[in-house]
Amino acid sequence: MIRYVVRRLLMAIPTLLAVYTVVFLFVRVAPGDPAVAALGDYASAEAVQALRERMGLNAPLWAQYGRTLLGYLRGDLGRSLITGAPIGDQVAAVLLHTLQLTLAGVLIGALLGIPTGILTAVRRNCLPDYIGRTLGLVGLSIPAFYLGILLILAFAMNLRWFPVMGAGAFTDPWANLRHLALPALTLGIIMTSFVSRMTRSSLLNVLREDYVRTGRAKGVGERAVVYLHALRNALIPVVSVLGVQTAVLVGDSVMTEIVFSRPGLGRLMVQAMMQRDYIALQGLIVIYGAFVVAVNLITDLSYGFVDPRVRYD
Amino acid sequence: MTRPWFLQGRRTRAFLRNRTAIVGAALAVVFAIVALLAPALAPRDPLEQNVYNMLARPGGSHLLGTDDLGRDVLSRILYGARVSLIVGLSSVLIGTVVGVFVGLLAGYFGGFLELIVMRVVDVLMSFPVLVMGLMFMAILGPGMDKLILAIGLVLSPQIARLTHGAMVALRDMEYITAARSVGSGPWRILRRHVLPNVLGEILVMATLWMGTAIRVEANLSFIGLGVSPPTPTWGNMIREGVRWLAVTPWLAVFPGIAILLAVLAFNMVGDGLRDAMDPKLH
Amino acid sequence: MATAYHVQGVEASYLSDATLAFVVVGMLVASCAVGQGQVLKIAFDAADLKSLDPHFAAATMDRAVVDMVFNGLVRYKPGDVTEFEPDLAESWEVSADGLVWTFRLREGVRVHPFPGAPDGYELTSQDVVFSLAKAADAARSAYSGEYVGMKVEAADTYAVRITLERALPASLFLPKVADYAGGFIIPKRAYAALADQFATHPVGTGPFRFANYVPTQRVELVRHDQYFRGLPRLAGVEVWYMPDVTARLSALSTGEIDIIEGVREQAWVDVVKRIPNLAVDVFGPGETEVLHLNMTKDPISSLLVRQAIAYAIDRTEVITAIGADVAEPLCGAVPPYLAGGLTCDEVKAAGLLYEQNLALARALLAAAGYPTGFEISANITERASYRKPFENIQAQLARVGIALKITVVDHSSFHTLIRQDVNPLVHYEAWRPSADAFLTRFYHSASIVVSGAKPDTNFSHSKSADFLIELARYELDPARQTAMWKEAQLTLLREVASYPLYVLKFVFARSAQVNYGYPLKSTLALYPQVNELTSK
Repeated sequence: MIRYVVRRLLMAIPTLLAVYTVVFLFVRVAPGDPAVAALGDYASAEAVQALRERMGLNAPLWAQYGRTLLGYLRGDLGRSLITGAPIGDQVAAVLLHTLQLTLAGVLIGALLGIPTGILTAVRRNCLPDYIGRTLGLVGLSIPAFYLGILLILAFAMNLRWFPVMGAGAFTDPWANLRHLALPALTLGIIMTSFVSRMTRSSLLNVLREDYVRTGRAKGVGERAVVYLHALRNALIPVVSVLGVQTAVLVGDSVMTEIVFSRPGLGRLMVQAMMQRDYIALQGLIVIYGAFVVAVNLITDLSYGFVDPRVRYD
Repeated sequence: MTRPWFLQGRRTRAFLRNRTAIVGAALAVVFAIVALLAPALAPRDPLEQNVYNMLARPGGSHLLGTDDLGRDVLSRILYGARVSLIVGLSSVLIGTVVGVFVGLLAGYFGGFLELIVMRVVDVLMSFPVLVMGLMFMAILGPGMDKLILAIGLVLSPQIARLTHGAMVALRDMEYITAARSVGSGPWRILRRHVLPNVLGEILVMATLWMGTAIRVEANLSFIGLGVSPPTPTWGNMIREGVRWLAVTPWLAVFPGIAILLAVLAFNMVGDGLRDAMDPKLH
Repeated sequence: MATAYHVQGVEASYLSDATLAFVVVGMLVASCAVGQGQVLKIAFDAADLKSLDPHFAAATMDRAVVDMVFNGLVRYKPGDVTEFEPDLAESWEVSADGLVWTFRLREGVRVHPFPGAPDGYELTSQDVVFSLAKAADAARSAYSGEYVGMKVEAADTYAVRITLERALPASLFLPKVADYAGGFIIPKRAYAALADQFATHPVGTGPFRFANYVPTQRVELVRHDQYFRGLPRLAGVEVWYMPDVTARLSALSTGEIDIIEGVREQAWVDVVKRIPNLAVDVFGPGETEVLHLNMTKDPISSLLVRQAIAYAIDRTEVITAIGADVAEPLCGAVPPYLAGGLTCDEVKAAGLLYEQNLALARALLAAAGYPTGFEISANITERASYRKPFENIQAQLARVGIALKITVVDHSSFHTLIRQDVNPLVHYEAWRPSADAFLTRFYHSASIVVSGAKPDTNFSHSKSADFLIELARYELDPARQTAMWKEAQLTLLREVASYPLYVLKFVFARSAQVNYGYPLKSTLALYPQVNELTSK
């Protein structure tokens, strides 16, 4: 198992290198100038030139490419072109908020989605199934930013149950949770739809398997069949969907962070893109890549916990 | 020769028995009709400004009110359907063509080419769709054509992987080897053997991607990187509406409902198609 | 306010001894200042800070922090940009030939604590010399152009002597050493200690000092106990970055935030005015919104076509789209509140107002050879304050057959593209500290984009006003200088190098409890200045 993990981590290196290379080339093709973005329109032309020089943007491409890469190898993400602050510090300051939001979304999705999925599968083609499936489809169809806006309108602006802005400090758990509630619900609703659909179809598949039929034939109660035998096997693809969707959720969390003015990687990234902060953008996307790699690895490992038959070699 | 799935009666019947799918298809038809007939349906010119009647409430001469330049919201939503339909259809078409081409090429030739191409596909797939859309838009610049291309490129890796998988599964089968040995080119093999096997799945994926494309367009427009004004699009309308959320919340809410219904329609149809393809689920 | 009320009550009912009352007042004020110190929260329309180094800070949210943390030698009177008053310098004098300016510094000004100096240190002329040298250095300042031809030296510990190569009138010299951009004084030792961290850890002498920065969320400031104007009433200030206006307004109405940057449009102002316990401040000086016409791009290169465009536009309609309270008509290149600015009446008297006349516009187009109009395309940023008026102009031009195709790009691309001279029409929003800065940077031939000697923001390629602009710059007689600036603007209006639209004022909303401590009319800090007198 350890060898498996090590091998997977080694395989991640070329992937991340490719991610870095792609982003490096992408951002430099795009129009826009970080020096102008940083200095504003009142700045003198000499100042803009001087800043370009200092930002290292006048250096040859290969030198810029190599310098940043060497920094990564030393664990240094570089400094923002705009603020000059170390990107590592910026990431550290917001990473917990993004992780918290994503995890909360996944958690809500699993807690609501798996029971709904079971219910709709067991009561297939009955009323709960139709309601559950329709709501699931709606959840799949609604853009995250729009759902966020609706939640703000209802729960923050009209009912005033939750704050709309920012994130609470971790030192103040109550404020922190209140700030988390609506963004987490936004992601949670979307996640619930995915999970419940996956649980349903997976469970339906398993219920048709031979061993389940045998169990039924031998007189094992329907409940026991579903909960003891079928569910365990049905959960394997669900776990995989949780993993894949966690990565997708990262994309939705970008919009959620924007709509809720919440600090996070997504907002940092859009900000970096808008200001053409090449160095920050590269660093952030590489971090995203690493995050996705980690999620995939954890997903694969969790198969083993759900299903002992899975072996890693 | 294998016939495509949609000509086989069993699957058509399965699809038609699926009520969700039928509702979805009906919604999609309505959406297409609205898009095509927007000029006839819209009560007013969606571009006509009236700065002396801005942010009017719904009702009266403007059924859904007016926006912050005094333009009729209902007319703009109806015209917005056109952008969504064009962006959705064209980007899915581009994504499918590029994806099938890349996946087939990699699968057919194999070797080093396959390794590199599929590696790139994996890398691209590891990006969240929206992040990739943002990057493409930053490079390509604004405009509807660029938007279509960007969304199409975002979709293509998924199709490529699907086609590649099908191609690899077939590659070593005896009849393909036989076909290659008698000199059948890649296109012939594609047409005769690969496409019939993956066409159903591609169709399901394309339908679901129609919904995704409409959503990605809305997202990018919401950030401000979508279609340029004065063309009304649902994403632009929400973006504008959000500035007035505390004043006239309906400006953001109405176009959102349009997005939701359109995406929902394609998801319902896509689901129905998938179920019809997979008899086990019935 | 509450303090005074209580004291009056106390005095009336129980006390006849005025001395005792005085002591009570003193105790109440003291307890108020120390115990009640509140933290004021301001939210800006921004995703994050860019730079808190005052010589780089350009965006509103950064200028706000800089304004609270730093001082200039002189300052614009809080809430009123038309007057200068002493700041770090307690007095100044200028030699008879106008070449040598001598500033006497206030003694005992303490620099904020910073790493390596837990108690700060006393600001002296050395710091001023360092700071102005930094402001003049293109590598360490965005405003270096303003400080060329200037020698700065320390006459003694508390005196600074500035020698100019050419004499400047006070109206053009004092802004360079005031509390704006390069004029903010950066303490030398603090800058040396923090080096490249200074942009996210500013250290100055102002009423509030930097305490903490949470990226994409907020900057925390705490009061500077040794501030030279006295102990600030607020215990601290938090500057929040909230790019969504709805989130800002909700946070304001629930009391999470005390002051927010609003939407600079009438409808928004009207709505907030109706919310109980909230107040809206609409204040100047405001930014100019001007449509620049590129005289090298066909068919705009034809004077007839430019005149047609001017006659096609109804300034009142654009202003109505924004709102009369927040947008004031602008008829010349320099706004009327600056020395040398033109009022609409003056422009009308000169016969250059180009009041909307669609028939005339069509006739001019026909005379220029475009009887059915023409098509042009232009980029605009996604920011609403640019995009919305531009969309209205688009609709107005369509009425005479001019099809303006708009491409919306992100703000960064917009700035790059317009400086590459790709747009026939450029809508530009700007504030500049003087008529000279407006005219030089937008209309002098040296500032022509791409091809000028110092490419800047002359989008029209105008050069007809060069002579008057240069002449006025060094004119020491204010009346003659003003006359030259006005004549330069009339020249520009004759060739329709640009079509001035309106001055867009600033809009902030606040909780009614917030008391700025001064009457707010206009401020160069571009936000309702928070200083030692502000309370809530």
